[in-house]
Amino acid sequence: MSVRGTRIPPHLQLPIAGVTPPPTEKEGQRLFPTGNFRFFRPVYKDKTPPCNNACPTGEQIQKYLDFVKHERYLDGYLTIMEDNPMPSVTGRVCYHPCETACNRAEHDEPIGIRSVERFLGDYGLDLPEEPIKDTLPPLNGTTVAIVGSGPAGLAAAYHLRRRGYSSVIFEALDKPGGMLRAGIPHWHLPEEVLDAEIAKLLSLGGIEIRTSTRAGQDISWDGLRNYAAAFLALGQDVGKRLPVEGIQSRGVGGGLEFLRETGLGRPVKVGREVLVIGGGNTASDAARSAIRLGGGAATIVSLESEEELLIVAEDLEQAREEGVLFSPGTSLVRVLSENGHVTGAVLCDARLARDDNSAVRPELIPGTEREVVCDTILVAIGQVQQLDWLPEHLSDSSGIITADEHGRVEGNILVGGDVMRGPSMVVDALGDGKRAARDIDRLLTAQALTPEPDVTIMPYEGLNSAYFRHAPRIEAPLSPAAERSRSQKVEVTLAYSEEQAVAEADRCMSCGVCNGCDNCYIVCPDVSVLRDARENGHYSIRTTYCKGCLVCVQECPTGCLEKVPEMDFDAPEDVTRMETAFAPYDGAHAEQSAFTKQLIEDTIAEYDAARRQPVPGGGPPPNGHPPNGRPQNVKPQNLRNEDHDGGRP
Amino acid sequence: MTTVHVEEAGGQRPAYGPGLRTPAGEERLNGLAGTRKRLNGCAAAAYAALYANVDVITAYAIRPYTAIMMNLAQFIADGILDAEYIHADGEHAQLSAAFGAGSCGARAFTGSSGVGVTYAYEMYSIISGARIPIQMSIADRTLDPPGDFGSEHTDALCTRDMGWLMGWAATPQEEFDKSLLAYAIGEDPRVLLPQMVVQDGYFVSHISGEVDMPSAEQVDTFLPPYRLPFPLDPRQPLSHGPQIHPSQGPPLQLERARAMEDAIPVIREKTDEFARVFGRQYPHFVEEYRLDDAEIAIVISGGHSVTCRAAINRLREQGVKIGMARLLWIRPFPSDDLRHALRGVRAVGVVETNLGLGGPTYGGILAPDVTAAMYHASNRPHITSFMAGLGGETVPTAEFEWMAGKLGQAVERGGVEKAAHWVGFED
Repeated sequence: MSVRGTRIPPHLQLPIAGVTPPPTEKEGQRLFPTGNFRFFRPVYKDKTPPCNNACPTGEQIQKYLDFVKHERYLDGYLTIMEDNPMPSVTGRVCYHPCETACNRAEHDEPIGIRSVERFLGDYGLDLPEEPIKDTLPPLNGTTVAIVGSGPAGLAAAYHLRRRGYSSVIFEALDKPGGMLRAGIPHWHLPEEVLDAEIAKLLSLGGIEIRTSTRAGQDISWDGLRNYAAAFLALGQDVGKRLPVEGIQSRGVGGGLEFLRETGLGRPVKVGREVLVIGGGNTASDAARSAIRLGGGAATIVSLESEEELLIVAEDLEQAREEGVLFSPGTSLVRVLSENGHVTGAVLCDARLARDDNSAVRPELIPGTEREVVCDTILVAIGQVQQLDWLPEHLSDSSGIITADEHGRVEGNILVGGDVMRGPSMVVDALGDGKRAARDIDRLLTAQALTPEPDVTIMPYEGLNSAYFRHAPRIEAPLSPAAERSRSQKVEVTLAYSEEQAVAEADRCMSCGVCNGCDNCYIVCPDVSVLRDARENGHYSIRTTYCKGCLVCVQECPTGCLEKVPEMDFDAPEDVTRMETAFAPYDGAHAEQSAFTKQLIEDTIAEYDAARRQPVPGGGPPPNGHPPNGRPQNVKPQNLRNEDHDGGRP
Repeated sequence: MTTVHVEEAGGQRPAYGPGLRTPAGEERLNGLAGTRKRLNGCAAAAYAALYANVDVITAYAIRPYTAIMMNLAQFIADGILDAEYIHADGEHAQLSAAFGAGSCGARAFTGSSGVGVTYAYEMYSIISGARIPIQMSIADRTLDPPGDFGSEHTDALCTRDMGWLMGWAATPQEEFDKSLLAYAIGEDPRVLLPQMVVQDGYFVSHISGEVDMPSAEQVDTFLPPYRLPFPLDPRQPLSHGPQIHPSQGPPLQLERARAMEDAIPVIREKTDEFARVFGRQYPHFVEEYRLDDAEIAIVISGGHSVTCRAAINRLREQGVKIGMARLLWIRPFPSDDLRHALRGVRAVGVVETNLGLGGPTYGGILAPDVTAAMYHASNRPHITSFMAGLGGETVPTAEFEWMAGKLGQAVERGGVEKAAHWVGFED
């Protein structure tokens, strides 16, 4: 017998030859520490989804879409409120840079993020009590001055309140809201929605709005400097003038001023033949409001050609549906009048050109002049602000307050919104308010202002697109053009139903962010992906056993799993040196595990049922297992690890 | 892979677990008990699986073993055998499925021939290393090329060092008996190794012989229900054949080597127990035929031994002192028993029926094993390799007589003429 006298040293002994504790158990990993085979390690590294990155307020869009998908609307609302205090407003009027950036556009169509945001915002407004109240710290006794109650000012007040500061907002008009009220028509943003959003903020306590208080008249620069800190967010609400002959005629006015008077509910007269001069969104809003108010025709006369128009695509389409006419590539040369009232205009074909300072300069095409009849002209060619009450060095000629890269004007005074960046989106202003609140807090607590950290944005190519079924975007419903174009009150864009919101949120591909889909957990051939807490979707890699095959990385739909060379870890000989699982969005994950759980339970039940079958003679069931399913301790004699005598018969 | 569920009459699948027989099966076996049936080797193997009441059968068709699976499929269709019958997409999957079934505690039965055997090669070490005692029934077939349905032992012998118990049956009766015996040995907790029960294609698999049918009780006494000590169980998770650290390789191989050697006493024990239960006593390892006073001997395995006996009888009539040692088991190789059987002979010829291209004798596979065993014998006979019966050719008595002549010359000369002879191609 060649094996006579052989001995297996204790440290190499296995319980039964060829049969070991599985690597799911500690003993199994101790026996087989195959983690040192690995060249690359799968690492969960959440990236920033492009939507989140594109949003100036940094809304965690992936996170709240995930909540909506699982019908956790309150969690979704609270998630938005971390970044944006008025989702019912932005859910209606935002030009949604998030949707423009959405990776899903490369797959089929971008997610209707704005409509889901509106759904959550309106859900929040319908709550009997504002839930954010319970999360606020007590007031710390410091009050910050804010000039302007537009989106930037209100956002700053809200985020300051979240940090314990009181604020007092100086508003020149007799109602709060700034451009939200005085620039955006009610058919985009109903007055009651705006009022409710502002009331929600005021209900938090510590925010005071002083209306009819104009900076420079009712509060001076020095008066502002007396506050611990101040945030200048007065916007740009003075329309630019057009230097052409006859512009002083009655019936000629500013588009912005027209929208303001309309928005504040003041009596406004508009004719039945309206020319709107300008190629941007203000021109579009003015033309559409003019049709609603006067019941006549409105033509947008723009230097911009058809392709150059600055009106966002969906507004342009809606305007056309409502009967707005367009005269692109055209310049207003002269206003014609009779008895001081406008009767028509001389137009001329033109091209948009810019001078050395990039100011707009029309380039007329000779011989194309023509007369048109009109009774109203609204000029919407840009806006400025009256800033002569500021120290001269703090503003420039275009109505902009100058500041450093942090929006800091001087001392503890910061600026944001249109008066800092020129005409911009509501959401830009909201983002500035959020940023200003953070930086004011830093200044008041003697911290340095730092640049925004670099982020890694998840590209579409990084996703495993095979996992995403093509599904069309659910377009938000619109009021019929014939109905809406006769009323200032009828909202143009309507809301998603609950089902639509959930279905649209379900289209989110969760770019770069683990959403607990369990794919890595299921595909791992070596039981090396662990789900320590099944309810929150956090995974970790069993680094003592994982051999680095990277199937999990390949099969990660969201691209949050990546391979990292082992050499990048600080101690190459140690395979357990880094916590690999982190997901910054706690709690937004992992509702899909029920299926996997059920699968395992069903398997065990089937297995148990198979063993309960009767055995002749009432003896133990086959395989040596008593009915409770535990194997008997049968150990083959030759497999014992003591010395092998080789002398058995 | 397709799992074939055969519905009982009325569409209700009976809930018979392992260790139980269907009523039709009980009735059939009761009717067979004590009778003698004319069966070919394939049918004999299938009847053995029926008596062994296997739980899982994995099949993939290839001649000549296919008839085993045909018979088993018929048993299931007739309702006399309740087993999962899995038709695999190839032999590798076929062996894998049998391995999985055995790992879960099922008595698994599979088989193949020729290139089918070699196609499944990966699984042989895996199954024996995991110590899963499934049975593979092989009816030999020549390996390609060229395509040849004839019997040659090379297919099974290729796998001889993979940790499977392996032995040839020479008749349908022995095929039947060896199947039951191999299960009993392999499933013994002292052994736990898979088994290859091999028969010559056509010479045994397709030629009928008489087979005594036992009662079900006899078989159940000899071969109790399969009890794997470490089945896969979702409540008691464990690994079969996991990835290991290099230092854990040698002890595992030592365990497998121990199991193979420990099988030797178990084979003796089970062979004797078989005789007590069924009344047929086989030699433990080596059939000794007219060796008592023999000067020269043929060592052989499988069906050609039948012709060999006839040739020996004729040669004995002519006064040639010749005998035969037939190997009933190739693995574990019965070195002790072979030395004992050949203790008085002076020259030995090993009939190969296989190809050992480029091996130590430049002939077959068996002669080197026989030579190594006999090297330590006190008589240390001259040994040569006879390449005969290749490609499914018969080995007629004339060829055995020719071999006897060569062995006689070796005795006279005091040494073999050549290490290997190609019988039929030399004067």
